[in-house]
Amino acid sequence: MEKRLIKVTINGKLRELFVKPNDLLLNVLRNDLNLMGTKYGCGIGECGACTVLLDGQTALACLILAVTVDGQEITTIEGMGDPAQLHPLQESFIEHGAVQCGFCTPGMLLAGEALLKENPNPNEEEIREYLRGNLCRCTGYAAIVKAIKSEAKCQSADPGTLSE
Amino acid sequence: MKTNTKILASEFEYLECPTLAEALNCLSKYNGKAKILAGGTDLLIKMKSGLLQCQYLIFVKKIEALNYLISDKKTLRIGPMISLRSIEKNEQVKAYYSALFEAVRSMAATSVKNMATIGGNLCNGSPAADTAPPLLVYGATLKLSSIRGDRIVPVEEFFVGPSQTVLESDELLTEICLPDLGDQIGSSFLKLGRVSADIAKINVAVCLNRTGKSVGNCRIAFGSVAPTPIRIPEAEEILKGQEMSDELIVKAAKAAAGLIKPITDKRSTNSYRQQVSKVILEEGIRSAWQRAGGEL
Amino acid sequence: MDFQVIGKVLPRKDGIAKVCGKEPFASDIVVPHMLYAVTLRSEHAHAEILKIDTSEAESMGAVCITPTEVPDFTYNERTVSIPEKTYCDRKVLPRRVRHVGEAIAAVAAETEELAFRAMQAIKVEYNVLPSVLDPEEAMKPEAESLYDEILLGKQQLKVKHNVACERNIVIGDPEAGFAAADYIVERDYDLPRIYHHQMETKTVVCQPEANGGITVWTTTQTIHNVRQLLGQIFELPLSKINVKKLSIGGSFGSSIQMNSMIPICVALALKARCPVKLVSSREDDIHDHVKFPARIKLKVGVTKDAKIVAADMRVLVDIGAHQINSYPLLGCMSGWYASLYKWQDFRFDGTAVYTNKVPGCAMQGYGNPEVNFAVESHMDVIANECGFDPIEFRLKNYVGIGDEFWGQGPTVKSIIKSCGVEEMLAVGAEKIGWSERQSSQAKTGRYRKGVGIARGFHTSGTGGPKPGEVIDYSSATIKINEDGTVDVLSPVMDLGGGTGEATVKVVAELLKVPYDKVELAIVDTRTTGYDVNTHATRGVYCGCGAALHVAKQVKTKLLEFASRILEENPDDLDLSYEPEEKKTIIHVKRFKQKQISIGEVAKLAQIYSWGTIAVSDSYRQRNCPPCFVAHFIEVEVDTWTGIVKVPRAILLADSGTPINPDMLEGQLIGSLSRGLGYAAYESTENDLETGKLLCGGFITDNKIPTSCEMPLMDNIEVYFAHTYEPTGPFGAKGIGEAALNSVAAAYANAIYNAIGIRFYHTPITPERILQALEGGASVEN
Ligand SMILES: Cc1cc2nc3c(=O)[nH]c(=O)nc-3n(C[C@H](O)[C@H](O)[C@H](O)COP(=O)(O)OP(=O)(O)OC[C@H]3O[C@@H](n4cnc5c(N)ncnc54)[C@H](O)[C@@H]3O)c2cc1C
Ligand code: FES
Ligand code: FES
Repeated sequence: MEKRLIKVTINGKLRELFVKPNDLLLNVLRNDLNLMGTKYGCGIGECGACTVLLDGQTALACLILAVTVDGQEITTIEGMGDPAQLHPLQESFIEHGAVQCGFCTPGMLLAGEALLKENPNPNEEEIREYLRGNLCRCTGYAAIVKAIKSEAKCQSADPGTLSE
Repeated sequence: MKTNTKILASEFEYLECPTLAEALNCLSKYNGKAKILAGGTDLLIKMKSGLLQCQYLIFVKKIEALNYLISDKKTLRIGPMISLRSIEKNEQVKAYYSALFEAVRSMAATSVKNMATIGGNLCNGSPAADTAPPLLVYGATLKLSSIRGDRIVPVEEFFVGPSQTVLESDELLTEICLPDLGDQIGSSFLKLGRVSADIAKINVAVCLNRTGKSVGNCRIAFGSVAPTPIRIPEAEEILKGQEMSDELIVKAAKAAAGLIKPITDKRSTNSYRQQVSKVILEEGIRSAWQRAGGEL
Repeated sequence: MDFQVIGKVLPRKDGIAKVCGKEPFASDIVVPHMLYAVTLRSEHAHAEILKIDTSEAESMGAVCITPTEVPDFTYNERTVSIPEKTYCDRKVLPRRVRHVGEAIAAVAAETEELAFRAMQAIKVEYNVLPSVLDPEEAMKPEAESLYDEILLGKQQLKVKHNVACERNIVIGDPEAGFAAADYIVERDYDLPRIYHHQMETKTVVCQPEANGGITVWTTTQTIHNVRQLLGQIFELPLSKINVKKLSIGGSFGSSIQMNSMIPICVALALKARCPVKLVSSREDDIHDHVKFPARIKLKVGVTKDAKIVAADMRVLVDIGAHQINSYPLLGCMSGWYASLYKWQDFRFDGTAVYTNKVPGCAMQGYGNPEVNFAVESHMDVIANECGFDPIEFRLKNYVGIGDEFWGQGPTVKSIIKSCGVEEMLAVGAEKIGWSERQSSQAKTGRYRKGVGIARGFHTSGTGGPKPGEVIDYSSATIKINEDGTVDVLSPVMDLGGGTGEATVKVVAELLKVPYDKVELAIVDTRTTGYDVNTHATRGVYCGCGAALHVAKQVKTKLLEFASRILEENPDDLDLSYEPEEKKTIIHVKRFKQKQISIGEVAKLAQIYSWGTIAVSDSYRQRNCPPCFVAHFIEVEVDTWTGIVKVPRAILLADSGTPINPDMLEGQLIGSLSRGLGYAAYESTENDLETGKLLCGGFITDNKIPTSCEMPLMDNIEVYFAHTYEPTGPFGAKGIGEAALNSVAAAYANAIYNAIGIRFYHTPITPERILQALEGGASVEN
């Protein structure tokens, strides 16, 4: 199988990569680019641990051939924020105890971020619907939902009513 | 065990076709040895679990000309490469094609729906495919294209058995067309799964026209109760031309439940499917009727 | 009690790394020049391996190992019990496979794809044997045996009729007790095998070192037991084995042992003489472990005035192909049963049976959810049949303060010194509106609501006044740095529940240092003392207990050094925190003006060459206090589809002083989701012809609750009882496993209250509900 050159913008940086046709995006991110925040949980689209943003929309890296994303833009958890400059949703997750073992966390955060971009003020049912493909075995989801809801409130509240 | 879902072990040649013409040429050239890759949410899983192998993989999702949803006042034409998520978010679909809207809303989860296409859902040929019952009740037709030319197939004739459709190995599904449904129409879709994001244990779609207090045209289709998604003409006949009432709904639903012969599998049992078919069909008729402006 | 950091909600120490995707899990470890490994797993449930031909795989450039190339050592992967009570039946790679999916060979190659293809090229000749897939059939004389002999400690032991081990316990005279009873109620309960479904699949990376030793990164709840067992299997000195402590992507008991893939990977690395990484695929992982199932027969005698006088419990556990920890499991099950209610005279007969299925292992609660489901359903059955109020009946008979608690079977017991049961039942009843609860007969219509209660507990650790069958102690090292910050070296694994934060808080509290000045060091087996395991809900009670024990010694040392500097008697000095200056000072009692900061003490100790202020020590807790819970759950049953919703749940916990209130809440709500999964959705079944898993190893057909199956945020209420455990660190007990134990019973009791149908086995699926409703309301299921 011949390797092909693809050009992908990953976390804001344009990369040229040589990939085999059967290379999964998940393994290219993890093994070739050392972006370990994208996790393997099931490999069949059921768990959401491998969630990334593809052109701003959530997608599952375990079911994407790397060759197919040529010319597209990918955001992984490493591109969402970093320790020195956390994304507000990342802060909210820490603040609300939404992180336990942390294995589902990157996927949850990217899904949460995509949701808030699409719908800045979702109600609880909408959050739960949006997250239903991201499994978490630890938290029972409540703290995660709370973290997203509270971040939504912050984003949509005008500065004067932040105290709500 | 001979699978490893961490990787895609099988080897193949990858062909990316940005235009329809190229895709059809490739299909014809590698006839029988190639598989079509759209969103990959069915295909790659089958390849990972060793159920399917191919020498060539033709990637078609980026064919922009097949990614559309066009509705004039009367009909709806859907490009097969449109993502399920785009259908779900389309205002026309939400407003006028409730069964299709409810079907895509019920499916999988957002990430899968961003990737998955409606064409893939149909061509995968699953008896549980959620977009099939709505398309059956809308009387949709499918355009199947190859370098030999195009043919139009009603959805009803498309499914042959589990994972089997009438698609020839050099054909591509290139359009889904919903005809003029007439006035005073209402449609609905219901599904039961094990959890909220699941393949259907059973699903049902209803589409009907209302003429005053009576049912005009009417179609009913079930998924996951037979080797293919199926219509239940006998139950439709019970409703057609009759004045709508609770008794009529119960009668039609009961008849439908008596006609289906579901099986027991990993997701549910035959008797459960049979029992709840009645319940979801009743609810389906009721909400389609109300959406058609009818009262109960 | 007024605490400085205990009980405060503070950010997790690993929170930032985890939200940034930077926290390394075993599966993220990369070592230069490492090979990737995959295992070849059996397609047969029971077969002798006649021949394995790896020549083709090797010609592809892969390194292979087969049963003849690994140490022929019989072991039990869980080494928490003392050696004489440990049953061993497992090999690194077996010559006879005993379940579908058992690893029989392994391959390493430069890429995972190549390793996988090489694995597929291995040819195995089997002699297929009849398989045994039902535990009752397994015990019949004509059944095929899985083992002729196994080891108990170092002793050979014959296996008869596939019985792996047994435990029979009689307290008092149960027959006489039953004779005195006015009512005798007997039922059978059946709890399924379910998969742990931890989000990270089991992983191991092994790097051979130049000195002949190895470094290992792996998913485990116990780095020290992994090291010791590897030392035994590979005859390596422990000083040459180092196991790194890492975050683990959930466990729930699935890595309580040294996972069977660890020695496989080590053997590959030693053969290949280079680092090897072995990450289970999800399908490998599902074939590796399940929660222990149980068939339970329970008979209870009661008098007219609602007093229990006798009980008899028979338990049959289908442990699958290997004993991971079935002997202690049976002991624990007897203990959970013995400690729920005062049965007076009672009997426990437990039998663990081998079958050709995936081996059962500990999963949150370790037999407690199974026993609890039976007993707490039974309490409702009795209350219903005899006309008692379910809550009053429980309160009249529960095991509480001053009673004996069996923390880990019959050999680990202590006296209960703190108990919030009465408070929790009163508060829960009030919140759910218990007094307005109607019987199922009063309910009509399509949707019917019901309310159920169940209570339970778990032990906090496995300590006791005298050593029992289980090893229990922990260690810690604490060091005051020269700027007044503190390093804590703890071998205790944090499975995500916040044990690490609790340790930091306990140290910070005792040394009066702010939370952000105490850090958990990155450690391994080489840099820490022994800790047995993060199991048995012992992280806070035992792990933090050890940290507290060491922190007290550090404090003594600090005061001693300070006394030299301040020229005062150490007894006249005390520690306190000065919030304005943000520093911890040592001062003369009642005369704060004479003071010095701990950073200055540490710095001066260095300048005067007195030495580092650091202490390393171990500590055993001498009690095993129960952390109690109660669950009040409301259900709404759709009687037309059998679908159940949970509109409301009240979760009550008595975990002593809540050290991490947010994490405590997280444990309770997380357990609610796992409990609902157990009650309503999950069951990992086998095809009874082939022994294959019905789900085929894929989670598509092994559903767990998603965000949409849970009650809404505002409809889950969490309540902490006001208790203080005198033997715990700052009054704390555990919570982890307790939080789950009574969820399923509360759910089943609620369903009974809604529709008048009693379910005796889980999962209670819509299919079963509808079938039962069709059969008439009095049907028992
Ligand atoms: C987690 C998860 C949940 C899911 N939940 C649901 C659900 O609730 N309901 C449901 O119905 N499905 C569900 N699915 C299945 C799947 O997502 C859908 O069937 C999806 O629509 C398939 O589309 P795709 O573009 O990914 O197809 P692909 O996987 O790319 O293709 C599917 C098949 O169709 C063929 N094909 C694709 N496009 C064409 C074309 N234009 N012409 C000819 N042949 C073509 C391919 O060769 C292949 O055989 C789920 C899948 C996952 C992973
Ligand atoms: S690993 Fe991709 S969805 Fe589970
Ligand atoms: S925090 Fe562990 S899986 Fe979500």
